[in-house]
Amino acid sequence: MTGTLLMDSSLLANAETVVARARAGDTRALGELYRAFEVPVYNLARRICRTTEDAEDVLQETFFEVCRSIGRYREEGSLWGWIRTIAASKALMRLRRNKYRETDELHDEAVGHKREDTHLRMDLEAALERLSETSRAVVWLHDVEGYTHEEIANMMGKTPSFSKSQLSRAHARLRTWLGEENIP
Amino acid sequence: MTHLTMDALVGLREPGTEPGQAAAREHLNQCAHCQAELQRLHQRVARLKALPTLRPSRDRWPETKARFSADRRRRRTRAVGLSGLGLAASVALFFAVGDLPRTPDDPTTDQLSQVMERSSLLEGAISDYNPGGRVLDGRTARIAGELEDRIARVDRQLEATELLRQQPDDRDLLKLWRERVGLLDALVDVHVTRASNAGL
Repeated sequence: MTGTLLMDSSLLANAETVVARARAGDTRALGELYRAFEVPVYNLARRICRTTEDAEDVLQETFFEVCRSIGRYREEGSLWGWIRTIAASKALMRLRRNKYRETDELHDEAVGHKREDTHLRMDLEAALERLSETSRAVVWLHDVEGYTHEEIANMMGKTPSFSKSQLSRAHARLRTWLGEENIP
Repeated sequence: MTHLTMDALVGLREPGTEPGQAAAREHLNQCAHCQAELQRLHQRVARLKALPTLRPSRDRWPETKARFSADRRRRRTRAVGLSGLGLAASVALFFAVGDLPRTPDDPTTDQLSQVMERSSLLEGAISDYNPGGRVLDGRTARIAGELEDRIARVDRQLEATELLRQQPDDRDLLKLWRERVGLLDALVDVHVTRASNAGL
């Protein structure tokens, strides 16, 4: 997790001091933690959640948990790795709570095989947005954040095989939606 | 020729070797089509990583801080107050039902019991609602925090009244317990009204 250690130092130069002050109950230090990690936490939440409101709620939930649990943070891993896992768990909890409709599957049912024939092209943002909540979460956590299938399975309460199949299914869909299947 | 499935291509990006991957790699070495597919998969992942960073449209720190402060106060009040308040309630009940020069049907004593029971019910309702586990907007968190501060002040007054005086006047206790119930009522209103307004 070298990348996450680099994130710590790039986002918060004096991380150790700030964490020590936060552990002692210094609210300003907690504010500094928030300012340092607010954007990556929101970005992760927004990539997983369907709406900005949900992502903002996940942001608040994450830092509320960080404030409450900073005393339990062990400095063996990176601070960003610790905060990111809280954020990912909160975002996945939000998905479970909202029980969003699986939009791409509904679309499949409505359109049938027509979509396969039309080869409509989308940009990556739109295609990612179109994936089901679960597939998008797996794609983001695995391909971008670097979690293993075992870690994702733990967070989702599923098996690693579930995570693997979600990932390959998502890539098959992205490939179609991005119009890549006709590229020689 | 049968090309590699997306499962196999995605599997080839994983570290380590799983059963079946040796055959997949062998096929890959000989198949330009699958090599191109794997390359496209790599490029897709690289493009995902390069997507722009999304930023929150508003600052959520004031609300988070208010919620955390309220939670910290609540936990402190619970830790210090519950033991103290339990003792205070016992003392109050002792004086209310104890061998004191009061008539058995003293209306103040009855009222005190009732108001303490009401207080307990409201505490239970708030505990069931679990405000610590919910997202609060800034205004709600601020109002709830102020009410909790006032409840904590009343609790300290109750403890002082009951522990420092040898024979506390039921009317003083009743006044404080009523104030406590009023504040708890308001706190329930804040949470429940907010929940119903937000459709939670």
